[in-house]
Amino acid sequence: MVSDQPNLFERNAREKEFDMHKVFLARKFFWPAIAAALLLLLLFVAAYRARPAAAQMASSDGMVCTTGASPNPTFVLTTRTGYIGTPDGNVVFMWGLSEGGNPFQHPSPVLCVNEGDTVTIILHNTLSQDISLIFPGQENVLADGQPVQPQFDAGGLLTSLAPVAAANGGSVTYSFVASHPGTFLYESGTNPGIQVRMGLFGALVVRPVIASDPNGGRYFAYNDAGAAVTSEFNHSPSGEVLILQSEVDPYLSQAIERGQGFNLNNYHPRYWLVNGRGFPDTIAPNYASWLPSQPYGALAHVQPVDSSNPLWYMERFINVSSQPLPFHPHGKNAVVIGRDGQPVRGDAGEDLSFERFALVAAPGQTYDSLFHWHNREGYDSATNPVPVVDPGWANLQYGMYYSGSPYLGMTGPFPPGMSTMSECGEYYIIAHNHALFQLTSWGVPMTGPGTFMRVDPPGGCSPMP
Amino acid sequence: MTKTVTPRRISRRDFLKIGGGVLLATAGAKLLPAFMRRGIELVDVASAQTAPPDLFFAGTDGWIYLPPTPAIPPYHPDTLAPAPFTTYIFGFRNVLGLTPTQIANQKMKAQHTAPLFWARQEVEFRLKLTNLGLQMRPDLTDAHTVHWHGFRDAIPYFDGEPHGSVAVPMGKEFTYVYRPHDPGTYMFHCHVEDVEHVHMGMAGLVFVRPQQDGNTALYPSGKYAYNDGDGSTGFDREFAMMLTEVWAEAHWDDAHIQLPEWSDYRADFALLNGRVYPDTLAPNGSIDPFNPITDANGDLVPTPGYEHLQYQPLSSLVQCNAGERVLLRFASLGFTQSVMTLTGIKMRVVGEDATPKRGRDGTDTSYWTDSLSIYPGASYDAIFTAPPYQGPAPYDTYLLYNRSYRHSNNLEAGGFGGQMTEVRVFPPGTLPPQTIPNT
Ligand SMILES: [Cu+2]
Ligand SMILES: [Cu+2]
Repeated sequence: MVSDQPNLFERNAREKEFDMHKVFLARKFFWPAIAAALLLLLLFVAAYRARPAAAQMASSDGMVCTTGASPNPTFVLTTRTGYIGTPDGNVVFMWGLSEGGNPFQHPSPVLCVNEGDTVTIILHNTLSQDISLIFPGQENVLADGQPVQPQFDAGGLLTSLAPVAAANGGSVTYSFVASHPGTFLYESGTNPGIQVRMGLFGALVVRPVIASDPNGGRYFAYNDAGAAVTSEFNHSPSGEVLILQSEVDPYLSQAIERGQGFNLNNYHPRYWLVNGRGFPDTIAPNYASWLPSQPYGALAHVQPVDSSNPLWYMERFINVSSQPLPFHPHGKNAVVIGRDGQPVRGDAGEDLSFERFALVAAPGQTYDSLFHWHNREGYDSATNPVPVVDPGWANLQYGMYYSGSPYLGMTGPFPPGMSTMSECGEYYIIAHNHALFQLTSWGVPMTGPGTFMRVDPPGGCSPMP
Repeated sequence: MTKTVTPRRISRRDFLKIGGGVLLATAGAKLLPAFMRRGIELVDVASAQTAPPDLFFAGTDGWIYLPPTPAIPPYHPDTLAPAPFTTYIFGFRNVLGLTPTQIANQKMKAQHTAPLFWARQEVEFRLKLTNLGLQMRPDLTDAHTVHWHGFRDAIPYFDGEPHGSVAVPMGKEFTYVYRPHDPGTYMFHCHVEDVEHVHMGMAGLVFVRPQQDGNTALYPSGKYAYNDGDGSTGFDREFAMMLTEVWAEAHWDDAHIQLPEWSDYRADFALLNGRVYPDTLAPNGSIDPFNPITDANGDLVPTPGYEHLQYQPLSSLVQCNAGERVLLRFASLGFTQSVMTLTGIKMRVVGEDATPKRGRDGTDTSYWTDSLSIYPGASYDAIFTAPPYQGPAPYDTYLLYNRSYRHSNNLEAGGFGGQMTEVRVFPPGTLPPQTIPNT
């Protein structure tokens, strides 16, 4: 078993009172708070680089894979409990699964395997109720060597969608052959209305046999290298992004933490998250030190697609919430090439891909999409200026991710007392859930299920002196 | 654009209307946007930067009308609303051609939905925005932006997302420049405090006409949704169907200096082009974005008998002759799902999110349906052929409505309302050709 997860430190939030009286953040005070958080982000760069090396170093951006030894990867997943931070300053009790001896994390690890692998998952349960895992989209899953079947009690009532790891120390071993590539989900099949919502879920990515062709070094989502149009994507370290959408009802979490009952008729999400974080935490790096239990960022970090950088980037969408969620990327539509772990093709191989600027994933659904950003107009301050007179900072309100200049790779003067987050005039272009009442964190607007695409100038970012 | 061109009266758009791409290299070259002129002549940078806008929006607040009964005390109708209005909004107004005094007069005179407009593929479009402030909320100094939702490869400067870009404070102006390369149906909205500003009404529909327009060989009208190459998206009439919602409590909160808890969101009213049925059938006010009609103060002129719809000028009534092809352009900036159902007539979905229904290898993926599930932020282009006229009434009536029944009534149990309108099919030749969408 090889994991690229560094050691995480227990969040000392465990000692914190879980405060259901949320701090009211008036809009006038919210942005300074975010500015402070982002200053931390800049300071973090050094801390990130000092992170102890893991077997496989994760990139600061892009999907973080937990991998095993192909063709027989084995993952030991143990339940943990802990707290996550939300953008309104709250901390929320959650359950999770962690690989090996790792501490609590949310969401559970992104398991990446290769097509044809025989995947083994050993589930250890320390919780006080039975749990299980199901693997939608995988066939012939075994539990302790026997075909997985739904579980019924003596009275014939359905108790679990799969054999369980019994409460208080039980274990079960699941195995299956990852027979086809795609993006999948694994989640609890026992009392899922509680257990999935408490965090017993994660992403499962199956890479096609042709994905890592040692000769070509080319990367695909599906086995379509020979087709007229393919799933090949740009495999820069941050060229593959996970958008795992979930929701949290803090009252459910509170009831579970206190060992109280919870009437699911009262279930009412107050937080919507991407990769277990809410914006602006979503754009913090993977394994940001101030998000010790929320390791996965959601920043899409790219360069413009052009003749020297021709391949599009890859975005994998998963919805583990209980309602359809529309996700809207600005400026970079999702060209959907896979749905629920199947290439979007007809029986004769024809391409049935579709392009969306509002991609709606239903509960449990996954999409694989290609995206890019093209410097279409090629605006240049000297040779091709924007066709307006820039009113400048005295006449406009500048956002903190604006560089002060309309031009990619340039920065401009900023209002006194305000500084830009831009390092080298890179662009920050947002992507977010467009059911906008969900783009909030229990009342704090413009937080939650949103992230950025960061577009660096061609060749990459060299910070301004 | 050179200084010899008379502002507004000969726009680039009008010029291209004359005859498609062939004329581009002739005397009109200087009229073309810089990106099309490259290679023809040097760009006149200074004049390009000061060219007049094609459209001019003002962001402000205002009041609109929704059926006052049944009431939702204390939120609806809002007791602060001047008669005949019921509901506080933020919104845009089209102030193209108005004097500075007239523009200033439009504070507190926002409309919903925001003015419908359109651009042409490969023709630069300049949208100027000013911010008049919020009369009911002197404590709020919110900036505004225009975010053209779905515009591919937008640079942050013209994207209107305020964190990565610039926003327009009160009393200031900014011009967004769009060079549309992709025909189809889009939407736009203010992106400042976006859950609030979008929900309060700063949302509208915009579409891009394809370069194929004017080619009568593929379809007699020469009007198309996309550059289809085969006339499959040709149409005779087009109707924008902008879907928004009103949560009465949130609107009341903004008028009464309160904040709603957004995760408690509910759609009390579901609106079609800013109105609920049967107001959706009422006549248009001033809806031609390029030739707005106002009174001497610059205000919208109410249609006699429809004074309550003064700030909701866009009609959803679909009228057509039997046998004609009708394009419905749907876009949603509500926060919940709509399922728009057309009774008795099948629609062909030819576009989604400003993309023709074709695979990357050209495979036709368009489809027939009578119900379209539309989520927030999505758009669809659907074409139907008006069935034969049956009579004996002057027209046959078909209903277009949201099958989520909660959204096709006005809170009245058993009553019809909300996102609902009528398609009226007349005998062939009854209606003259359409000149403006939604007419
Ligand atoms: Cu947006
Ligand atoms: Cu938008």
